[in-house]
Amino acid sequence: MSTLTAKPIEDYTAKDYKSDLKPIWCPGCGDFGVVQAIYRALANIGRAPHEIAFISGIGCSSRIPGYTTAYGFNTVHGRSLPIAQGIKLANPDLLVLCAGGDGDGFSIGGGHVAHAIRRNIDITYIVMDNQIYGLTKGQLSPTSRRGLSTASSALGSMESPVNPLLYVLGYGAEFVAQGTPADMNGLARMIEEGIRYPGFAFINVQSPCVTYGQEDQMLKAQKATMQSLESLGHDPADRLAAMDLAQAYGEKLYTGVFFKHPEPGPTFERLARERQDAQRASVKSRADVLNVFRLKTL
Amino acid sequence: MNTDLVIGMAGSGGDGIVSAGESLLTAAALVGYHGVLTKSFGPQIRGGESSFRLRLCTEKVLSPGGSLDIAVALNWEDFLKFGAELPVGGRTTVVYDSNTNVAPDRIPLVGVVPAEVIPVPVEQMARETGGSDRAKNTVVLGLMSGWMGIGRAEVIAGIRKRLSKKGAEIVERAEKAFQAGLEYAEQHPLKTDRRMVASAAPTAKFVVDGNDLCAAAAIVAGCEFFGGYPITPSSEIMHFLGREIWKYGGTMLQAEDEIAGVGAVVGASFAGKKAMTATSGPGMSLKTEMLGLASIAELPLVCVNVQRGGPSTGIPTKGEQSDLLQAAFSAHGDVIRPVLAPVSAEDMFPITIEAFNLAEYYQTPVIILSDQEVGQRKETAEPIDASTVRILERRTPTEKELDHYTRFRFTETGISPISHPGMKGGNYLASGIEHNEQGAPTANGEMHSRMNDKRLKKFDPLKQRRDLFIVEGHADAPLGLISWGSTAGVAIEAFHLALKQGVRVKLLVPRLLYPVSEQVYQEFFASISRGLVVEQNHQSQLYRLLRMFVDVPRGVEQLAKSGSNPITPDEVADRLRQISFALQRDKHQEPSEA
Repeated sequence: MSTLTAKPIEDYTAKDYKSDLKPIWCPGCGDFGVVQAIYRALANIGRAPHEIAFISGIGCSSRIPGYTTAYGFNTVHGRSLPIAQGIKLANPDLLVLCAGGDGDGFSIGGGHVAHAIRRNIDITYIVMDNQIYGLTKGQLSPTSRRGLSTASSALGSMESPVNPLLYVLGYGAEFVAQGTPADMNGLARMIEEGIRYPGFAFINVQSPCVTYGQEDQMLKAQKATMQSLESLGHDPADRLAAMDLAQAYGEKLYTGVFFKHPEPGPTFERLARERQDAQRASVKSRADVLNVFRLKTL
Repeated sequence: MNTDLVIGMAGSGGDGIVSAGESLLTAAALVGYHGVLTKSFGPQIRGGESSFRLRLCTEKVLSPGGSLDIAVALNWEDFLKFGAELPVGGRTTVVYDSNTNVAPDRIPLVGVVPAEVIPVPVEQMARETGGSDRAKNTVVLGLMSGWMGIGRAEVIAGIRKRLSKKGAEIVERAEKAFQAGLEYAEQHPLKTDRRMVASAAPTAKFVVDGNDLCAAAAIVAGCEFFGGYPITPSSEIMHFLGREIWKYGGTMLQAEDEIAGVGAVVGASFAGKKAMTATSGPGMSLKTEMLGLASIAELPLVCVNVQRGGPSTGIPTKGEQSDLLQAAFSAHGDVIRPVLAPVSAEDMFPITIEAFNLAEYYQTPVIILSDQEVGQRKETAEPIDASTVRILERRTPTEKELDHYTRFRFTETGISPISHPGMKGGNYLASGIEHNEQGAPTANGEMHSRMNDKRLKKFDPLKQRRDLFIVEGHADAPLGLISWGSTAGVAIEAFHLALKQGVRVKLLVPRLLYPVSEQVYQEFFASISRGLVVEQNHQSQLYRLLRMFVDVPRGVEQLAKSGSNPITPDEVADRLRQISFALQRDKHQEPSEA
């Protein structure tokens, strides 16, 4: 039962979600744009900051919850999704956001993504994908292109990159989008749409690292090359078409909603609630649980 | 007539061995006996060897006992696989299936001459009455009922309870098989009388095992979230909550792995709910990082480790007490988290309640060190009155404190009120990174020291909790006996045996293992010049732990065995007697004052 109250929707502005903590990001970091887009999306949605839980892992982008006025939880590398799911299951009335980088999400955290999708818990997961490990000073990431020379691949990466879009589409995610701070309106809009989507929503953001990234990844270059999926006539209800377009990840920058299931499926928390409602009447108090140990006398 | 009997039986997987043991326990409990039933299996998932040992007593017992009084072998190959778990001695009555075609004087028990050896046509009787050899275990129940004088009606009730789901025909055939065994016993009385003294008036008893009781206690404590992963021998805790927790408004999640399981628990706790996870050694290793996160973020949670043989995959189906040092120290950084250990399955209830109370009060992960023995053996227990249980809640901020709320505010106790999402004004940033009082990240040395102080010193009052120790015997006794966990049950019995034998010994059983209650140990050690620490692990982990924090007298010895090597009350009592003789001899040899 929700005892949460909120200011009426029209009263919240982006400023209500901005905390006083000064970001540690380098000037020009793409994450500045991402957090702005999040402020705007939240303002449009109008939930009170104390009803929002924002969970992250470890990395530059994972600092983001501290820059909002929501309840924040900066957890451990790669494990934000399980923790966020625990929060949502404990209190399904909260608005739960999850964020991190491409390493946090698809390297160490890769094993958890599939299961967050399977449970379809209503969480919005924003990955700031810059194809590098910034916080630890420039190592290879799972989305780095083959042959890239980095601090930990001085002689060139010998691996193919993960395709985060295909990854989540393949696992059956019901809402998949990609954005960039190079198109702030678009980004804010798709974050809002993801939050509104009643299930697990994934938003990949091409948020460049000005310190360790490549020239062709910077916002200026993105602006020149990006193409909206809408302009391509893509139908977001078509998963196969979305996967086809997603294959171009790394070569083409497509922005917008790749996939949005027209008939949202059940969420784990809704099913849990239904089960609790159905089972509640069979017991009177917590002490009843001890009855299973009673021996029936003859 | 007997007041205390141990029955052991072994056969192959499909013989219904365990089912027979449970029927016997149920029947005995219905007429007021106390019992401890231990099951043991071979390493195969299905079809391997299986056994039980059942101790029945007119008084409360905390250990599975020593040598078998009655040993039943449905086949010798499987019986022998259990080695020291089914110890046959000179006082054992050995019963075996005559279809093994082994002569009574040729049974393959090397170096043992049992009190009596009886071949019985068990399989034959099973086929004649039940139509198949699946009724062998029921025939054996009839034999036991006849020879031990445990009421037929109760055993039949036990059989009916176990087989009721399989239909009337099966139940009828089972009753015939039981009758056949009973009649055989009546026609072939034993040389050694194995009848049990009638118990006192039957009192309504509980029959519990540590895993199920832990899960039930969690619900009584107010647990609303369980996140975990299957692992032997702890899965039953998750299964129980998966059946029951919804009725109480809670959620159970079998996560994708051990880390996600405890991760979801950390999240649920952050969201304000009491939460628990359960695992065994390998899972504890995986959970190390998450537990550290909970420690620095000062989030309550309960983590149950049902210990098994280690290291690594170890021996999944046998208990051991070798995760103590891990429980105390396996966190990078300076961390203290309370570690509790129950001494029996029955003790799992108060220990689990205590774990939740400590977790919520001190805002910390709390580890419960159970083990396969306690987790999976069945015991009779006194009925539990949940209304007498004291439950603590976490300290949440008042209205005033929510005005300029500071999550990690330095207080006199080190405990600062904790908010959760949904609480207006309570917004804060929780993190694994070191932080200041407001929760903002910091690398400042002074703040780090002060935060370490806060997080560690808040546990000081816990070290004064004498109620978490079992202390018995004369305060001046020169010989001290220490044990913990399921082994403490053996030690307690040995303690009483030794007292009867005139040994001047006192007993200390910590149920709080960490932080180490230095003062309690100092007081105990004050008068002793000799001692014995008994535990089921190779390195004497409790002994080592005590030596880190306490001045342990030089004369304190260890009785430490790796898991799967049963420690018996007799063995411990013998050792106490030896040490006692040595004590007296030393005293005698002391130079007299010239």
